[in-house]
Amino acid sequence: MSKKTITIIGIVAVVAIAFIWGIGVNNKLVTEEENVSKAWSQVENVYKRRMDLIPQLVNTVQGAANYEKSVLTEVTNARAGVQQATVDPSTLSEEQIAAYQKAQDNLSKAVANTIKVTVERYPELTATQGFRDLQTQLEGTENRIAVERGKYNEAVQAYNTKLRRFPTSLIAGMLGFEKKGYFTAPEEAAEPVNVEFNF
Amino acid sequence: MFCKPYKSHKLLALALLLVLPLMASAQWLPEKTKQLVNDYSHVLSDQQRETLERRLVAFNDSTSNQILVVITPTIGMEDENAVAQRIGQTWGVGQKDFDNGLVILIKSKTQRENRGAVAIATGYGLEGALPDVFCKHIIDDEMLTPLGEGEYYDALVAALDIIEPVARGEYSYAQYRKDQRRSALIGLGIFVGLIALVSGLLFYYAKKHPEQWKGGGNNGSSSSGGNGGIFFGGFPIGFGGGSRSGWSGGGFGGGGFGGFGGGSFGGGGASGRF
Repeated sequence: MSKKTITIIGIVAVVAIAFIWGIGVNNKLVTEEENVSKAWSQVENVYKRRMDLIPQLVNTVQGAANYEKSVLTEVTNARAGVQQATVDPSTLSEEQIAAYQKAQDNLSKAVANTIKVTVERYPELTATQGFRDLQTQLEGTENRIAVERGKYNEAVQAYNTKLRRFPTSLIAGMLGFEKKGYFTAPEEAAEPVNVEFNF
Repeated sequence: MFCKPYKSHKLLALALLLVLPLMASAQWLPEKTKQLVNDYSHVLSDQQRETLERRLVAFNDSTSNQILVVITPTIGMEDENAVAQRIGQTWGVGQKDFDNGLVILIKSKTQRENRGAVAIATGYGLEGALPDVFCKHIIDDEMLTPLGEGEYYDALVAALDIIEPVARGEYSYAQYRKDQRRSALIGLGIFVGLIALVSGLLFYYAKKHPEQWKGGGNNGSSSSGGNGGIFFGGFPIGFGGGSRSGWSGGGFGGGGFGGFGGGSFGGGGASGRF
């Protein structure tokens, strides 16, 4: 074998090894990205669950004898705000997640406030079984939101870590993988938004 | 004069030493046990605990639903829902594929603290059978009264009397066994396939090099005998992993609890205070 053939074989071998390594990296990242997508769809599920409960809340409050429109303005506006904040599930970029979270956290606050005001102003309404059941459902939804956000963050952390570690970081950008956004804890409330109801 | 500040420093250090573990346990999580009834408050008599344990083990054996009971004097700083959910998730209560676990967490009243709390956390798979509102009704209507009177056992029995029949319908034992058998069959299939492949290769090799096969008679037969030994030794191990008896029929005389199955929790359930 001439020197030339050996060189060619060497180059081919190196290229082949690099290629195989690239495939491995790609597949690992795809798996992690799928985990993130799965966690994200759960997050959307639980948020949707809350969206579906809000008309029920609105209807119930409207059933109060001395009901005032102002009680529901905040929650109706916040719900509309959420409908505008959309996220492209294939990118889940940091900016999108931040905007989405802001809208959803607004809604959390609005729901909690509405219930607080309702409990204060319409005690006869809040004593009904229907309202209590609704409260339980909203509370359960907030729990689920907290849990799924936590699980989503874990999935993103696994993905982002893999993405940014050397040597994967060398080719991740080339393969079209990008960092995903986290949910952050709202600053003013380190504790979970309390949909707690004391009668 | 010099002594006093030194002393107070010492006190401070002591206080910190005492407080630090408490701060670390802001996220309270008991260490995983192999029991379905965990009474850290010692409010159940031994007999009550055993009765409950037997009942829950039997329920696990017949339906594969796992119900974990935790009674504790403290749950840290969080609310009881979050703690119950985290115990369920980290202990893996329920079967992995069905998430059919349930955690009943009771924060008992103590002498210092006259506040009790109870939470029911449902695994993903039980959210349909036991929606939050239903759990809330179980707590409010069945548990809070006996709990307020300090009758922890009665409260648990009352809750289980409702939960068990409902959860039973969600995912039956027959279905579970069927899935288990399927995975055992697949395991067996792979095993048989491997044997066929290896013996086929050996056969092919022997046919191609008959002189070597026969010539090195001693050598060949002993090595192939060794191979077979490993294979057949491996058989029961591989099979045991697939069948359920592997983890349920542990060494406990009365059919002890085999272990948690790795179920997942999504924050379903409800809670109440007493």
